[in-house]
Amino acid sequence: MAAAKRSKPPPPNNPVPVATDPRVLRRAHFLMRLSRAWDARFEAMARVGRIGRWYSAVGNECTTVGTALALGANDAISTVHRDLGAVLTTYLDPTRLAPALFEDGDATPWDALRPSPQSLLDQLASQVFGRRGGFTRGVDRSFHYGLVRPDWGIRHVGMISHLGSMIPVAAGLALANLQDGNDRAVLGFIGEGATSQGDFHEALNLAGVMKLPLILVVENNRYAFSTPLSEQFACEKLSDRAPGYGIAGETIDGLDFDAVHAAMNRAVARARAGEGATLLECMLPRMRGHAEGDGSYELIPPAEREAYLRQDPLVRFEASLIERGHADVERIREVTEIARGIIEDAVERALLTEEPALTEATRPVFAPGEVATAFARQSTEVTGG
Amino acid sequence: MAETTYIDAIRRALGEEMDRDAAVFLMGQDIAAFGGAFRASKGLFEKHGRLRVINTPLMESGAIGAALGAALVGKRPVLEMQFADFVSCGFNQIVNNVAKTYYRWEAPVPMVIRLPFGGGAGAGPFHSQSPEAWFAHTPGLCVVAPSTPRDALGMLKAAIRDPNPVIYLEHRFLYRREKEDLPEGDLLTPLGRAHVAREGRDVTILSWSWTLHESLAAAEELAKEGVSVEVIDLRTLSPLDEETIFASVRKTSKVLIVHEATITAGFGAELAARVADQCFEWLDGPVRRVAYADRPSPYNKKLELSLLPGRERITAALRKLARY
Ligand SMILES: Cc1ncc(C[n+]2csc(CCOP(=O)(O)OP(=O)(O)O)c2C)c(N)n1
Ligand SMILES: [Mg+2]
Repeated sequence: MAAAKRSKPPPPNNPVPVATDPRVLRRAHFLMRLSRAWDARFEAMARVGRIGRWYSAVGNECTTVGTALALGANDAISTVHRDLGAVLTTYLDPTRLAPALFEDGDATPWDALRPSPQSLLDQLASQVFGRRGGFTRGVDRSFHYGLVRPDWGIRHVGMISHLGSMIPVAAGLALANLQDGNDRAVLGFIGEGATSQGDFHEALNLAGVMKLPLILVVENNRYAFSTPLSEQFACEKLSDRAPGYGIAGETIDGLDFDAVHAAMNRAVARARAGEGATLLECMLPRMRGHAEGDGSYELIPPAEREAYLRQDPLVRFEASLIERGHADVERIREVTEIARGIIEDAVERALLTEEPALTEATRPVFAPGEVATAFARQSTEVTGG
Repeated sequence: MAETTYIDAIRRALGEEMDRDAAVFLMGQDIAAFGGAFRASKGLFEKHGRLRVINTPLMESGAIGAALGAALVGKRPVLEMQFADFVSCGFNQIVNNVAKTYYRWEAPVPMVIRLPFGGGAGAGPFHSQSPEAWFAHTPGLCVVAPSTPRDALGMLKAAIRDPNPVIYLEHRFLYRREKEDLPEGDLLTPLGRAHVAREGRDVTILSWSWTLHESLAAAEELAKEGVSVEVIDLRTLSPLDEETIFASVRKTSKVLIVHEATITAGFGAELAARVADQCFEWLDGPVRRVAYADRPSPYNKKLELSLLPGRERITAALRKLARY
């Protein structure tokens, strides 16, 4: 049936115009390894029950890093649950985090705006553990927060659990750019499962009608929890929906960093030129289950599972670095080790941090002003706190 | 001084706030050149253009989500739902995304969602609802329902300026029926403050929006019978001005709550609970409610009027309560 047809390799990519800049490749490699090291650490903790649940992004790095690297300061990103790579790419100045791995001229003007990468990594780790030092100080989980700091060049709006709900929000970030008359782009992520949500349709339709500078990346890892593509949608490729919204659409091999990055560059150019939105479907290998240890991985037929493991985009990327003379085996090992050490340290530090103060539970639901004052005037007996 | 209708007051508020702050923009269906189903934004498109008076496709959830995105980067969106009933299509965005953002990561969400609501027009089950309780139940939303042109103006302006999401309920029946002479100038009504619409000694009525006017009419009737009724216009339902409410109840010792929304788990239930909790020792009678029967709003106007909590039902309830 249709499922078999769609689990074939993705259709060929559009021609890739240029070999990617070696500075971009160095940065991409380190960021992907950082993301992978993070997952490895949290997967290990999930296996021994030290954390409740972990949604791994293994296999998504090429797409999350390859797309986010095409953005500039104060372009915005909107992420969901497997987009650590895009978060790291947006937040961190790798040249300060791992100076040994970079060369003069690798730092970008945006890096000069960014804060200490170590402190952001520490906050991110504390966030995942629900600790005091996290972005939400314990009131929401892992990637459920935002960081909007124009002075740092960072505009990141994280997720709520309700998948699909952030696509219109990303469209709204793009709308604000249109209103301000700037040429900034917005990058949103979504899994292929959540493309079945109504908000996907409403947001892309709005993006088409208003020619919003929005790029929506669909991370098509072929399953949504346990649901395969054949039960999720009946079109051939999700990018086929793009013409229906009057926007550009491409399906890209998410194993191919150059292809992802080039497609994203094309989409960003369209957005900046006022030519509107793009739907970029990236075909990813399902290298992990939905959440670690939830039984969903075992549902994938073993032969299919093994094929995906052999398709590891990060391993492919490293092979291509060697092939093209950008790195040797020693360099690959060094990047991997340094990334692992950085994550190890950040996690260890976060585990030593304090739990949030209990008063965080009853912190204000309103930003300071008349309404917040009125809320605070109500008697605690009847408002439960 | 010019006579201003309730809908004029809304239009004036939108216009004044758009002039005052370039971050303020309007979004909704048919609101641009057409001026909106009730002409609330008439003339503003011509003045401010298509990026500040935005006609959206026929959408609610996506429009509210987009407004949230814009608000997170410094805009002050004011959304119009064509009818309050359709806000149900945007419920998830409001209760899960908009309302929870500030608590979760402390990003202010300055946003107003205007809901033209209420019955009395024989408009049937899908154009007559009073959805305030859906939102008052959700932490993080301010819910307001002005009853006069003066407050329609002042509360909309205050709502647009507040850094939080405000659900603004505007009653369609009042749009062209309520008129007031309003002075020029920057007229603001504080959010979170009730208003004593009529002073009295014997019974307190707690109400808002259209039923506030019906309550005032009933109070007038009772005055002829020697019963002095105090009528509180809540104006803001959440957060609630308990001070004003409890002071009145402690003075009169009897409470009648009147609202147009259906009775079960309506906002009146919350008011009754708070009054029972905080004014128990002062009460001389049951805390009573007059509200809509637990039914959808029927289409035939006679049928609808038979369910609407108008002045006759309020008057009857007041008489009974006064006897305690
Ligand atoms: C609106 C909504 N319905 C259901 C869920 C439960 N849920 C969480 S993740 C998930 C699968 C998501 O699949 P997909 O969008 O393909 O992303 P993936 O996890 O594969 O990256 C589901 C059903 C949810 N989070 N939100
Ligand atoms: Mg998926």
